[in-house]
Amino acid sequence: MQIKCEDLDRIFLDGSAEEWAGLEVHAASCLECAKQLQAWKALGVAAEELRDYQETPALWPRIESALAQQAKESASHKPWRERLSFWRNLPMVWQAALAGALVLLMAGTAGYVVLHRRPASGPDLTNNPLLKDRKVAEVERAERDYMKAIDKLAAEAKPQLDAPDSPLMANYREKLMMLDGAIDELRMHAGQNPSNAHLRYQLLSMYQEKQATLQEVLETKP
Amino acid sequence: MGSVGLMLPWEHRICPVAREGSRVEPAERGAQGHPAGRNPEDAALAAACQAGDLHAYERLYRWQGARMRNLARNLLGSQSDAEDAVQETFMKVQRSIASFRGQSSFVTWTFRILVNTCHDLRRSRMRRKEFVPEEREDAVMPVEARAPGGHPSLKLALERAIAALTQHQRDVFLLYEVEGFHHAEIAAMLEITETASKNTLFQAKKNLRQTLEAPRSSHAGGA
Repeated sequence: MQIKCEDLDRIFLDGSAEEWAGLEVHAASCLECAKQLQAWKALGVAAEELRDYQETPALWPRIESALAQQAKESASHKPWRERLSFWRNLPMVWQAALAGALVLLMAGTAGYVVLHRRPASGPDLTNNPLLKDRKVAEVERAERDYMKAIDKLAAEAKPQLDAPDSPLMANYREKLMMLDGAIDELRMHAGQNPSNAHLRYQLLSMYQEKQATLQEVLETKP
Repeated sequence: MGSVGLMLPWEHRICPVAREGSRVEPAERGAQGHPAGRNPEDAALAAACQAGDLHAYERLYRWQGARMRNLARNLLGSQSDAEDAVQETFMKVQRSIASFRGQSSFVTWTFRILVNTCHDLRRSRMRRKEFVPEEREDAVMPVEARAPGGHPSLKLALERAIAALTQHQRDVFLLYEVEGFHHAEIAAMLEITETASKNTLFQAKKNLRQTLEAPRSSHAGGA
């Protein structure tokens, strides 16, 4: 094979066995190419200086121990993908059928939960400081009924309170006036924050206190 | 091409022909084939590793461990880092053996993991070095003393020249010239084409020659 000086790089890059042989022949008569060829080969030979395959006896025991440890850990923490590896072995038709069945089961369960959801038994004021609208309406209705009942008691006690005949009755009157003031103030705040359960609790305790006081007034009737 | 760079002071100390059993001519490499890729043990070893047989990993180590350590040391410049990289490679092989589909040889696949592990280690080491003040430029690739019997100055010069190559050139040069892999195997390891592997090797050798020429030229100029 006839090789020219300009073929040198091409042969160095990707020359065939025949081209390398031709280059050797060409280099025998071309000093410059002979130098290039020798330098190119020398680089390959020099690279062998970087080959040091001496044994390091301590390394394998270290690796073996690490592999055994890892195998032990992976056996105890089998990944979920591995647990579901049976899926890959199923035929495509079975995979599709099982996937469809799973979707139907999930849809059925979701529908059942939506349709058979239990209605709430009453306002759960302890766990829900902010009441929902429906619950607020229920609380306000109960509150109005409670107020009506207390108003009836107040109407009965009114004659005694309007003309107190004893210091005790005068005290009851003052206490009831204070309670009414506190109730008005709390109702105002509750109107601004209708979902605030804490305010509703305070209001309830005021009503209870008023109810108890009115009953005491009526019980002290001469 | 310029002057012959490898007519170096160390030229007289190296044998101009290949050592017995090793290959120098690129054409010879192509004709011979590499034992790792064709060895029937390769598939059997992969199957045994997939079955979780720890002795199979030991066989892999006995077969390729020295070459793995050597490549890692040349990529990382440190014996202890190389041992860490080989250990980490075996751990990764064990973790991901289930994903090995036999598209390349088991050895090629293992070396791909090793090369990537070395790159990761090298990057993390470089990041740590960013915080070290007054770092010398030539200390990027620390060079450890090697076994006696070789040519220390030649090794040192070559290691420094290799350290100046790009990562890709370094990988291809070491895999081809030092470890004796074929371009097809290197292409599979580095996820490039065979042509790219050949081009990279050519460029790497040209760059090495230039780097190795420079001290001689300046020395000659100064004399």
